[in-house]
Amino acid sequence: MTSGDETAERAATDFNLFDAEDKALAEAEALAARLVDAPSATRKGVATLTQAYRRAVREQRRLVKVSDRQQAQLATLNQELARRTSEAEEALARLKEAQETLVQAEKLASLGALVGGVAHEINTPVGIALSCASHLADSTARLKALFAADDIGIDDFERYLATATDTAGLIQANCERAANLIRSFKQVAVDRTSAERRRFNLAATIDETLVSLGPRLRQAGHRLVVVCPPELEADGYPGALSQVLTNFVMNSVIHGYDEGVAGTLSITVDQPAPDQIRLVYQDDGKGIAEEHKARVFDPFFTTRRGSGGSGLGLHIVYNLVTGPLQGTLTVASDLGYGTSFTMVIAADVGNS
Amino acid sequence: MENLVIPATERSPRVDFDFAAGRLSLRGESYPEDASKVFGPIFSGLDGFLSEAAGRDICFDIELVYFNSSSAKALMNMFLRLDEAAANGVRITVNWCFSPDDETMKEFGEDFAEDLEHVAFNLVAAQPAE
Repeated sequence: MTSGDETAERAATDFNLFDAEDKALAEAEALAARLVDAPSATRKGVATLTQAYRRAVREQRRLVKVSDRQQAQLATLNQELARRTSEAEEALARLKEAQETLVQAEKLASLGALVGGVAHEINTPVGIALSCASHLADSTARLKALFAADDIGIDDFERYLATATDTAGLIQANCERAANLIRSFKQVAVDRTSAERRRFNLAATIDETLVSLGPRLRQAGHRLVVVCPPELEADGYPGALSQVLTNFVMNSVIHGYDEGVAGTLSITVDQPAPDQIRLVYQDDGKGIAEEHKARVFDPFFTTRRGSGGSGLGLHIVYNLVTGPLQGTLTVASDLGYGTSFTMVIAADVGNS
Repeated sequence: MENLVIPATERSPRVDFDFAAGRLSLRGESYPEDASKVFGPIFSGLDGFLSEAAGRDICFDIELVYFNSSSAKALMNMFLRLDEAAANGVRITVNWCFSPDDETMKEFGEDFAEDLEHVAFNLVAAQPAE
């Protein structure tokens, strides 16, 4: 222990909060001692006063102690409260961050599904073109051999021409189909990832989006009907719209129908006012239970937690419709008869 | 004599007694578990200083945002010593600083001032210095 500490220690030991009171009491005792010869009433009076003062000082000590303890408790509680508040705030910030990350991951996952769908779609025309090309190559090789052997007849040549015409036609048609798919996929992918605002044709964006969903729909046997005025255009974010449609369709496919039940999905677009576009998405699936209806747009609400549902699909839809698309979104559902989502979005997001 | 500087803790104020310059200050909060640990050194330093300070000018800034009951009692004792010293020829000014929106701290200051006859006691409404 240093001498400074010792000094402080001594000072603390010497310190008496009721120093003045104790001194006054000692003086009162001394006064009483000097009053031995005073009249008994005076002595009694001084003794009574001294006793009353002693009690008052004792009471003051007790009050200070009690009040100190309460103030210390209050301070501790305040600290605890501040700590918990900051903990809660921190947890909330972390949760928001995690939610944001999950939403991003979910968007990326649906982009991944889109890539998978498009790959599947492109596979067919590319496969056809490839087998046609190999058939054409075989025929050409055969013809070449006959020609080399100087054994070529007019029949052989005519048959080859027919084959070449057919296969070339098929190759051309299927390559065009593949090129179209790639173009539409490129547009959807760019729109989805860039979130860029542009003027777009609604029917084209819907079709391009549905191409990538084709395999999932066909696999389950669902039919999809689109009713959309072919010339209808909007100025806004086609990527967001595409994401919304994808999530609607995936939601129906995953939640709407039991295994082996094929349904009809529909997208109906019209323009109720010059500055508005209304899109109604509908399925004829199982519908949403009344107690779940109010919560379908809540983040992390899912009836399929165990089987891989993130509970973010419709939450993302809601955010996209009310955010970038500047619209409103409502859900209606009849248990056993299907579900419909109605969104009314801005025809021009820069103009509302 | 040596200056007395004690850093603030969570429950006790910063003590800065510059005896050479005659400037003393207490700043912060005061609700120690053991008042004697905090005020013992303050009183022993102050007593030693006041006993040799006759004829000097002393300025004491007190800027407390919160104190408990024993600290209030200790402050009262401290003011009585200062008033005694002032009666004996030390020229003492106390600046009782409080936040402008802290009515309670202002009332405490007014209350302490009532018992002081010889000390110049100023109530200073000011934003606490960081």
